[in-house]
Amino acid sequence: MELISLFVKSIFVDNMIFSYFLGMCSYLAVSKNVKTANGLGVAVIGVLLITLPVNYLLNKYVLMPGALSWLGEGFANVDLSFLAFIVFIAVIAAITQVVEMVVEKFAPTLYSSLGIYLPLIAVNCAILGGSLFMQQRDFANVGESAVYALGSGIGWWLAIVALAAIREKLSYSNVPAPLKGLGITFFTVGLMGIAFMAFMGISL
Amino acid sequence: MDKKLKETILNPIFKGNPISVLVLGICSSLAVTVELKGAFVMALSVTIVTGLSSLVCSLIRKSIPNRVRIIIQLVVVALMVILVDQVLKAYAYGIDKQLSVYIGLIITNCIVMGRIEAYALSNKPWPSLLDGLSNGIGYGMILIVVAFFRELLGSGTLFGFRVIPECFYAAGYMNNGLVILPPMALILLGCIIWIQRSIQKDLQEK
Amino acid sequence: MNTNNNVYTVVYTTVVCVLVAAILAFVSQSLKAKQEANEKAENISQILTAAQFGEKSHWSEIGNDATIAFYTENIEAALLVNAKGEICGELEGDNVYSVSDLKKQNYAIRDNAEMALPFYIFKNGTSAIAIYGAGLWGPVWGYIALEGDLKTIAGAYFDHESETPGLGGKIKDDPAFRAQFSGKVVDYADEAAPFAIVKGGAGDKANAIDAITGATMTSKGVDAAINNWLKAYEPAIFAAASCCSGNCEECCGECAEGECTECTECAECETKANEEE
Repeated sequence: MELISLFVKSIFVDNMIFSYFLGMCSYLAVSKNVKTANGLGVAVIGVLLITLPVNYLLNKYVLMPGALSWLGEGFANVDLSFLAFIVFIAVIAAITQVVEMVVEKFAPTLYSSLGIYLPLIAVNCAILGGSLFMQQRDFANVGESAVYALGSGIGWWLAIVALAAIREKLSYSNVPAPLKGLGITFFTVGLMGIAFMAFMGISL
Repeated sequence: MDKKLKETILNPIFKGNPISVLVLGICSSLAVTVELKGAFVMALSVTIVTGLSSLVCSLIRKSIPNRVRIIIQLVVVALMVILVDQVLKAYAYGIDKQLSVYIGLIITNCIVMGRIEAYALSNKPWPSLLDGLSNGIGYGMILIVVAFFRELLGSGTLFGFRVIPECFYAAGYMNNGLVILPPMALILLGCIIWIQRSIQKDLQEK
Repeated sequence: MNTNNNVYTVVYTTVVCVLVAAILAFVSQSLKAKQEANEKAENISQILTAAQFGEKSHWSEIGNDATIAFYTENIEAALLVNAKGEICGELEGDNVYSVSDLKKQNYAIRDNAEMALPFYIFKNGTSAIAIYGAGLWGPVWGYIALEGDLKTIAGAYFDHESETPGLGGKIKDDPAFRAQFSGKVVDYADEAAPFAIVKGGAGDKANAIDAITGATMTSKGVDAAINNWLKAYEPAIFAAASCCSGNCEECCGECAEGECTECTECAECETKANEEE
C-alpha cells in the first residue's frame, strides 16, 4: 500500500518537472514532436530505474558514515560521504554512456534526432536530483528506491509527452513570429507548471 | 585579436546565448533567480567553473577515449567544483557557506557539459577557455535580468534592500507572490526570448 | 594512438578514477582539521545567535577563537538528555554537537531508539535545544532558545544545506522570519503540534508563526523538525521545569516550606506531600 502511494505521489505530487523543475534543458529542447519526446522519456525512465537502486546500494554499503562496517570492525568509523557527489555522478554517467551505446546500435534514427541531448541525460538534473532525494529520504530498502525511480521517471515521461503533444498542435496556430518555437514553449511550460501546482500539498 | 577569437567571445553573449538560444542551464536559472544576490553568486561561479573545465578538458582532449568521454568530462567538472568547495571550507568558511547551496546545481548545469561536448573537445585550450568564460557571462546576464524583475516585483527589494517605498504598501500595493514561484521565471524567460528575437530576426523559428 | 582500443579505455578510466579519488581523499584529509575547527565555531555561533547573545554576523567578525571563548564563559552546562527526561551525559568544555551528531539523533528519534539530545543551559537562565529535519532539497537544522520558564521562546536560528536561496533559504537569511519566534510560547498541551508554522494567518496565536511565501516544503520541513524534536525533548523539559528534579533545596524554596504537594519527582517532596495528607 505504501509503495503504491509512493508511486502515485512521485508521478503527480512530486513531479520532477512541474514541482521541482528538474531536467528542464532536455525537456524544452527535445519536445518538438511526440515520437522523439517519447524516446527520451523512456530513456530517462530507464536510466533512473538503473541508477537509483545502484546509488542506493552504494550509499548504504559504501558511502554513509559507518556504512563499511560489514567489512569488519576496523571500518566502522570510515566516512566516505565526501565522495557521494562524484560517485553518484560517475554511476549516472557510466549508465548514460551504456544507454547511449545501446540506442546508437538499435535505434539509429532516434539516436540522430536526440543529438547532443542523449549524452546530456548525464547532466539531466532530474537524474542526479533523484539520487539526492533518495539519499535524503532514507528509503528502507532497494524496492522502495526502485519504485520511486519508476514513479519519477514516468512523471518526467508524462510531462515531456504532454508538452510535445501541445507543441505539435501549436505549430498550426498563429503565434507572433519572434515567439515561435522556443518562446511560446516557455509560456506553455509556465502555464502547465501553474496548473500542476493544484497537486501540491496533497498527502497520500 | 583575430576575428575568429572575437567571434568566440561575443557569440555566446548575444547570438548564441546558452539560455535563450541553446536552451542550456534552465533548471538552475529557475532556482536561483528569486533574488539578485543568489543570481550574482551563481553567475560568477558558473563562469569560473565553465572556463576552467573547458580548459582542462581541452588539454586532455586527445587522450580521452571516445566511449567513456562523458564520464571523464563529468569527473573533471565534479572534481573542480568539489576541490574549490573543500579549499573554501577550510580557508574562507563564510564564502563557502554561501556557495555550498549551489554546488549541486553547478555540477549538473548543462552549460558546463554542453560547452565541453560542443566546443572544448574539438578546439585548442586557449579558445576553449574563452568560450567557457563567455558562455558563463552570457548565462549570467540572463540570470541577472530575470532576478532583477523577480526580486523587484516579488519582494519589492533589490540585493535585499527595500526599493519600493512603504507608502506604496500603505496605499494598497502588494508584492506579487506569483513572481516568486518557478513558473513565472519560465514566463519571464519567454518574454526575454520574445524581445531578443524581435530584435535579431534571424533567430526566429519558422 | 588508437584511443578507442578496449584495453586503453579501461586503463584510462581506471587511472582517472583512482587519481581523482586520491586527490579528493588527500585534500579532504589534509584540510580536515581546519574545516572541523570552522564547523565547530559555526555551530557554537548558531547556538549563541539563537540564545540572543548577538547577531550572527557579530560572531564571524570576532572570529573563531573569541566565539568559542565567549561560549565557554557563558555556558552553565551542556547536558545530554534522553527520551525519559533523564540526564545521560554532559558535553565538556567547548564541545557541542555537530550537524552530523544531530542527524544521528534524528534517526534515534524516528526509530524510538536510545537518544542523547543536547540541552545547552546558559548562565543567564536561557537554554537552547536543537532541531533537525528534512527541508525540500536537503537537511535543515537549527536551535531554539527557551527562557527560564522553558516555555517562552527567546529566539531561534536555522541553517540548511541546500534550500533554494531567496525561498527556502530565508529560514536562515531572513531576520524577519527568525524574529517571529521571539516571545512565542510552546504549548505542550497541544499534543499534535506544540508549535506550528502555518501558511498565512498565524495571527495572534501564541504558538504559531507565518510560513515563508513560496517555500511551502521548507516551512513544512522546519515545522516537522521543531515538533518532532520538541516532543522528544518534552520529558526532559518537564523534568527541568517541574519544581524539583532531584534537588529540592536548589530548585525552589517551596518544597522546603512544604507547599509543593503536587510534585512527586523527588523523594523529599513525596514524603512531605504524604505527611500533609
